[in-house]
Amino acid sequence: MSAFRAKKLDLGCFLNIKTIRDHSKRKAFEAAETQRQALRYIIRNETLPARTRAEAQLQLTQMHCYTRPTQIRNRCILGGKGRGVLRDFKMSRYMFRMHALAGDIPGVKKASW
Amino acid sequence: MSVPRARILDLMKVRCQVFSTTFNPEGIRTGNKILRQRLRGPALASYYPRKVSTVRDLQREFKSWELITDDEEQDDRLEHIAGLKARGKGAPKKKKGPPAPTEKKGKR
Repeated sequence: MSAFRAKKLDLGCFLNIKTIRDHSKRKAFEAAETQRQALRYIIRNETLPARTRAEAQLQLTQMHCYTRPTQIRNRCILGGKGRGVLRDFKMSRYMFRMHALAGDIPGVKKASW
Repeated sequence: MSVPRARILDLMKVRCQVFSTTFNPEGIRTGNKILRQRLRGPALASYYPRKVSTVRDLQREFKSWELITDDEEQDDRLEHIAGLKARGKGAPKKKKGPPAPTEKKGKR
């Protein structure tokens, strides 16, 4: 959804529509997180009347899908790939291998014994 | 010898006061677990690296001071293009105006 996209991009990594989209989803989630948590609290609280809880459930499901944390996926910051991304390095496995062998990643060394 | 439930509840109440925990003998779900959770938004939103200043930004900044900045990549590119043009291998010039109508090909 382009409505969530920032007017001026502030990304310094590899850019394609998928990384831009993921970034806007992260921003949208950050903005709506407190509201989501409040609704989640109302839903889980059994001391509240059933009607309020049902309304909160409805409200939570009707929030935009970009505000859901499950929409966020870690992508490679060097190639934008969505699979095989190493969380510690934010890189896909092949990019990681290339950079590690070139010695660009501090503290990483090919094992040999 | 069984202890009455009311007495056990009293004990639980005092225990909760002493250790400052919530007294909830029926085990009702109050959703406090949600309130205890930390917000994950800032950590998630800072996943991608932000834009840092580039050579172009420097050039734009120093233009008003009339200082010269070097952009090696750009210089290399221009040099390469100049080499291509000298050998007559450069990209063709951009056309101006609409294309001229082509004559119909037919049997002579």
